[in-house]
Amino acid sequence: MKSKLYWIYIICLVSAIALVFSASCASPTESTLTSPTEITDQLGRTVALDKPPQRIISLAPSNTEILYALGLADRVVAVTDYCNYPSEAEEKPTIGGFSTPSIEEIVALSPDLILATSIHETKIIPQLEGKGLTVLALNPKTIDSVLEAILLTGKVAGVEENAAELVDGMRQRIKAVTDRTTSLPPEQRPRVFYIVWHDPLKTAGSGTLQNELIQKAGGTNLARELADYANISLEVVVRDNPEVIIAGVGHGSGQDQTFQYAQAEPRLRDTDARRNSRLYAIDSDLTSRPGPRIVEGLEKLAQFIHPELFK
Amino acid sequence: MSFNPVATEPIGAYFSGRRTRLYSILWLSIALVAVMLLATSIGSVHIPLLTTFRILLAKLPLLDIPQTWQSSIGTIVLEIRLPRVILAGLVGAALATAGATYQGLFRNPLADPYLIGVAQGASLGAVIGFLLPMTWHNLGFNIIPLLAFTGALVATAAVYGLARVGKSVPVTTLILAGVALGALLGSIVSYLIISSGEKMHGIIFWLMGSFSLSQWSEIGVVLPYVAVGTAFIIIFARVLNVMQLDEEQAQQLGVNVERLKLILLAAATLITAASVSFVGTIGFVGIITPHAVRLIWGADHRFLLPLSVLTGAIFMILADLVARTVLAPTEIPIGVITAICGAPFFLYLLRRRKKAIF
Repeated sequence: MKSKLYWIYIICLVSAIALVFSASCASPTESTLTSPTEITDQLGRTVALDKPPQRIISLAPSNTEILYALGLADRVVAVTDYCNYPSEAEEKPTIGGFSTPSIEEIVALSPDLILATSIHETKIIPQLEGKGLTVLALNPKTIDSVLEAILLTGKVAGVEENAAELVDGMRQRIKAVTDRTTSLPPEQRPRVFYIVWHDPLKTAGSGTLQNELIQKAGGTNLARELADYANISLEVVVRDNPEVIIAGVGHGSGQDQTFQYAQAEPRLRDTDARRNSRLYAIDSDLTSRPGPRIVEGLEKLAQFIHPELFK
Repeated sequence: MSFNPVATEPIGAYFSGRRTRLYSILWLSIALVAVMLLATSIGSVHIPLLTTFRILLAKLPLLDIPQTWQSSIGTIVLEIRLPRVILAGLVGAALATAGATYQGLFRNPLADPYLIGVAQGASLGAVIGFLLPMTWHNLGFNIIPLLAFTGALVATAAVYGLARVGKSVPVTTLILAGVALGALLGSIVSYLIISSGEKMHGIIFWLMGSFSLSQWSEIGVVLPYVAVGTAFIIIFARVLNVMQLDEEQAQQLGVNVERLKLILLAAATLITAASVSFVGTIGFVGIITPHAVRLIWGADHRFLLPLSVLTGAIFMILADLVARTVLAPTEIPIGVITAICGAPFFLYLLRRRKKAIF
């Protein structure tokens, strides 16, 4: 009985000492804290940052592209398995998939900023914040919000000038396209069928980047009345008789099955697009990835839809 | 009631029951044609019923009907809807027949066409097809149905081989081997799906089944298997009746039980594998349809089998009609519809029956 009490005293003493030590270790860093800047990210969350981050982890291919375009390659410590652009990004360590990053690996790399997106909102972000990590979410759904995301990232990383320069360049390129397309009357806007996937037949409806790009490029999206990425029945496509068919190819693995489908599907043979050989393939990373290359996607689509305007 | 086993029915009741069931076959055939016409005239694009009929009639020889419709409408009716409706009918008929055969052969009400590894084998084949590098997809034909078909046959052959005890293949061993191998293949499929990355969507859609891109060429492949296999099974309907006693008695009555088992399993597996290979593993049709038929028209396989063919075809065409129209222009996987319609109906039958329907 007595010896038991003795052990309890010792344990209490040790823990008391440990507590004092840890407190005294923690206090010096706290005293050097400058008042943190508060930033609202694209999910409406408030993020506090005390200094420009030096160890950044990107949780999305689009975020990686933004970081590299801003010249922050050296500060990126890890990316996802799907980050394939620019090619140097593929040499960075990865923390797993886009929607399934490994929390352990992220924590092990002790990042001072994690760039997430809306798909991480419910599960990943709370877990990371619970571990005391700083997370900034980008959630660009339109071309304008891609530009905002770039400016926001620039501000957080302390490279506002790079960001402003990049965004100005992008705005000019967008304007070069829209200057020629906005005034087009409806009858000069070809009906465009965009193939996201062929089996099941999937297209891009309103609310997608592809839909906005098609409109800005001077086309009429066949699926503009569908919401988001949607399955579409072949008979609707046959009835609406697309004048231009654009197949998103790549999907990270260099596949062009969608384009082959567009060329081979026997029931599309009487559409204007097939009769006039107006089938095009575009790297789907250019049209679906909300990053700096979105302007490249826009220019390509404009050339496909209006070859007479954009040579 | 007419649910009694055939053997105990009085002679008079037997003949009157026979006549009703023959009439039922006739009426169901007419209903099938009507349902096919209905399903061909409805779709996400509105086409008047009359126009649909004119387009279909114009295809018949000897009739001279001037073309008053746009050619795109003709394409929709003749090349998108009609092959789809026919393929759905074929697959429904095949799965229902296979289900009835398995249930009869195993004397087990829970038997369905996927009991002894067809679904898991086909799924594994298809998933491997999805994951193969691009060069395999440029062979000039679709590799996925071929691999699904092969997978289904190999899996069932393996189950049959594993279940073999000396010269005979006991039914219980067959079912157990099917369940065990099915679980093994299923877990491999699950693992492959998880690690399939961006191809996951296509794979899951295939597994749930769909008629969305059905073409005439697919019917050309599926039809011979289903027609020959189904005819074969119907020829053996009387023997299946005898099998209901039990294997020993059937043997004493002169049935070569083991050979019959092999023939019927092979036929049922072939028609299931052929159906599944193009449209994916559609559930519930194979288990529900024979039960419904048995409940309404009795357990005599000479009628159960042809009635299952018709009922299965009608049910599948209607289910596909729902799948493609409810949320038009997008489509729901057919497996979701057959389960939503099939499961409650099955539970209803289960609660309603006063005596064992099997």
